[in-house]
Amino acid sequence: MSSHLLLQAVVLGVLTGGVYSLWSAGLTLIFGVMRVVNIAHAAFLVLSAYLSWFAYTELGIDPLLSLFATVPAFFVVGVLIQRLLLARLRDHVTMMSVLLTTALAITIEGSLGMLWTGSHRGIEISYSTSSFSLAGISFPSDQVIGFVLAALTFFALFMLLRHSRYGKALRATIQNPDAASLLGIKTTTIQGIGFGLGLATAAVGGLILGLIHPFFPATHWAWIARIMAIIVLGGLGSVTGAALAALLMGVIESVVLVTLSPVWAGMIFYLVLAGTLVFRPHGFFGGRLAERF
Amino acid sequence: MLSGSKEAIGRFVKWGTLLLLVCLALAYPWLFPNPYLRFVGVMTVMYMGLATSWNLMAGNTGYVSLGHSAFFGVGAYFTGIMIVRFDMPPFAMVAAAGVFVGLFAIVIGWLALRTRDASFVIVTLALVYIMLLLAQGWRGLTGGSSGLSLPRMEGIGREDAHVPFYFAFLILLAVVLFTTWWIGRSKFGMGLVAIRGDEDKAAALGVNTDLYKLIAFVLSAGFTGIGGGIYVYWFSYIEPFFVFSITIGVNMILMALLGGTRSLFGPALGALLLVPGTQYLIGEYGSTQLHVVLTGLLLGAIVMVLPMGIIPSLRSAAAHLWSASSGASSAATCTESDEVAEGVGR
Amino acid sequence: MTYFSTYSLSRSFGGVRAVNDATVEIEQGKISALIGPNGSGKTTFFNLVTGMITADAGKVLFKGSSIGGLKPHQVALRGVGRTFQITRLFREMTVLENMLVPVRRFGVRELLKDAVGGSEAARAMLWLDRVGLTKLQGEPAANLSYGQQKLLELASLMMSEPELVLLDEPAGGVNPVMIQRISGLVRELNSEGTTFFIVEHNMPLVMDLCDHVVVFDAGIPIAKGTPDVIRDDPKVIEAYLGG
Ligand SMILES: Nc1ncnc2c1ncn2[C@@H]1O[C@H](COP(=O)(O)OP(=O)(O)O)[C@@H](O)[C@H]1O
Ligand SMILES: [Mg+2]
Repeated sequence: MSSHLLLQAVVLGVLTGGVYSLWSAGLTLIFGVMRVVNIAHAAFLVLSAYLSWFAYTELGIDPLLSLFATVPAFFVVGVLIQRLLLARLRDHVTMMSVLLTTALAITIEGSLGMLWTGSHRGIEISYSTSSFSLAGISFPSDQVIGFVLAALTFFALFMLLRHSRYGKALRATIQNPDAASLLGIKTTTIQGIGFGLGLATAAVGGLILGLIHPFFPATHWAWIARIMAIIVLGGLGSVTGAALAALLMGVIESVVLVTLSPVWAGMIFYLVLAGTLVFRPHGFFGGRLAERF
Repeated sequence: MLSGSKEAIGRFVKWGTLLLLVCLALAYPWLFPNPYLRFVGVMTVMYMGLATSWNLMAGNTGYVSLGHSAFFGVGAYFTGIMIVRFDMPPFAMVAAAGVFVGLFAIVIGWLALRTRDASFVIVTLALVYIMLLLAQGWRGLTGGSSGLSLPRMEGIGREDAHVPFYFAFLILLAVVLFTTWWIGRSKFGMGLVAIRGDEDKAAALGVNTDLYKLIAFVLSAGFTGIGGGIYVYWFSYIEPFFVFSITIGVNMILMALLGGTRSLFGPALGALLLVPGTQYLIGEYGSTQLHVVLTGLLLGAIVMVLPMGIIPSLRSAAAHLWSASSGASSAATCTESDEVAEGVGR
Repeated sequence: MTYFSTYSLSRSFGGVRAVNDATVEIEQGKISALIGPNGSGKTTFFNLVTGMITADAGKVLFKGSSIGGLKPHQVALRGVGRTFQITRLFREMTVLENMLVPVRRFGVRELLKDAVGGSEAARAMLWLDRVGLTKLQGEPAANLSYGQQKLLELASLMMSEPELVLLDEPAGGVNPVMIQRISGLVRELNSEGTTFFIVEHNMPLVMDLCDHVVVFDAGIPIAKGTPDVIRDDPKVIEAYLGG
């Protein structure tokens, strides 16, 4: 194994890891703000990929432009899902919400299959298929675009959570919903917006997915399993934890891919998941939920 | 006296219905000798057993496993590999699959149940992908993506090929139902249902919650593994994508929820209602994804509208009617004057 | 040998020292009280003793052996039972089923035996009879009034045959008639051999029922003694009146 190849792998890993960061940030945000494991998160990624693909191939709209439609639309859908469905669950909310989001995921998967069949698709735009190199390291354009988009979105999300009044209220809700509502914070509104934000990041994340990877309706299951391993590693509910864990996993996956095999690169997510649960069941970066962010 | 005879009639009806159903189940292959209907029959009884197995964990403790297809698949691969690579007797290997998957589930359950977070859901879901990768990657053992072909059962005509498997699944169903029934009446079962309600409180009453959950999980997985074992011998072929797909697990969930997770026969009823319908849809519209959409919509609808499922809902509706008509007193009319403090501290 | 004691038990939440260096002793066969202003760490003390939360430091001894660091179910199986400040029942289970959850001994046979029909159910019916809930045996626990819930919580705890029972505000939020029933029951059970340690705000009840009182303030035991001594202790008055 040459050090050059290793360096290349690390660079690619960071690029991938940046994208994973965005995907898992949305999922872990939704978990934090209402203890809901959104099984449909990756299904929304794939849905967004399909929408951008459709807009591009059928209507000729540049995928980056289609974000102006998909991001607000996903936000609204997220708020609606929370207000109309999740907020109405009464008993055993954690498990029932798992079932509900599973139902959403399957419905999305089936609908995509009915509309556009089960074939593999990909978004191929002129500026995304090339690559450039720097100091002998090659940078594929699609991955660089994806990384930059993910980083910008993540940064925006982070600033919103950290520095806005909404972010303050949201953090209070994450730490202690009961205490927050005693302080006059409208926790249901906060949760609705939280779910909306989570899905809005999935709109961007889905476009990146479509640019980098081939996709078909059922791909979301494999992705959700990986993203979930990441958010456990990062500590459920911790956005920064998820981002760090995602970068780490991107690099590890990429290095394993060049040194061992694709099978091991896939497997490493679950080995890390198992290791986390054995040694630090509450994750490595998150700490206790009360002290997160 | 009156209520005594009423109870006797009730018991008579209950046992009579059960006996009738058992007779119907036993006679089914000859009532409908058509191979396709026999095939649907095997499929139905298989899912009746699987849904009831899944429910052994979820219905009691409230812990939802999204990945029971992994146990189904491991049971199937274990049986398949034992038959093909080691030339072992098939039905003995089916039973062994239960033990093997049970042991496997001890490890998985120990990991998945380490926190009370959502990690149970996450681990069970991830498990499907772990097993998929293993089955694809470990070619020497599993045959990789090209799958594993088993010898067909010997000494049986094409006409009757489904019959032994029908009965194998029927036995599995009976065993799972009996186990569920027994647990439901036992101290252990009370502890499991208590876990569903309030885990800390159960622990404060001496319930070893971690162990209880693990045992329920292992039983649930083991029975599912046996189902996989029978399945692979029945189909004579197995490939990674087919068994290690979320779909099989989601089917179990949907059926159990539809019939009612808090009732003994609920999951089996759910399967009885859904499998023939699904088979029909796949037959008619198999190339489209219509059945997937309907699965999703139905699951969502049940969660939102009928979270208790059919049997418990009917039961509580009947109880309502009964108490309304007889004017029977309920807890609200209690003896003491302690209503004064009602609501305080809650 | 003291029956039950803690030594320097401590636990903080963030900056708050909820229980601070608490050394407490309880005598067998007595009814002892734990009093103190709201937020003085009484519930946290019970949580520490029963293993519901882990202590930062300190020891818990019961009948000569350490029960600190044991899991909640292990503490329960050793014979230390508790109720909760806000009554916790299995709301979807019936009254009778609630009675069948507690475990006396851990064992395969014990756990697999018929709970719904056998001797276990008979034992449960005796207790329900004793607390006057027989008629409600088939009702979901959620349908009970708050006072009835308190009775059921205590009755179901007794199914596990605890030696030492920790009650967290048994009279909180219930009417005077129900308070009489509960305190009568406690006295009866005590005369049959159960030791009690009770957190309670109702001072007349404490004075009437208890042999010994421990006072907490800001997580620290500041006084202990008979009810009469405690009543006149200036430190106690200070803790309640001062801030
Ligand atoms: N789980 C917890 N997290 C954070 N603070 C806690 C927790 N439990 C108790 N506290 C704090 O510890 C202190 C003691 O509380 P508690 O034991 O409930 O008092 P008491 O029962 O005497 O009213 C309070 O300041 C309370 O806010
Ligand atoms: Mg308290």
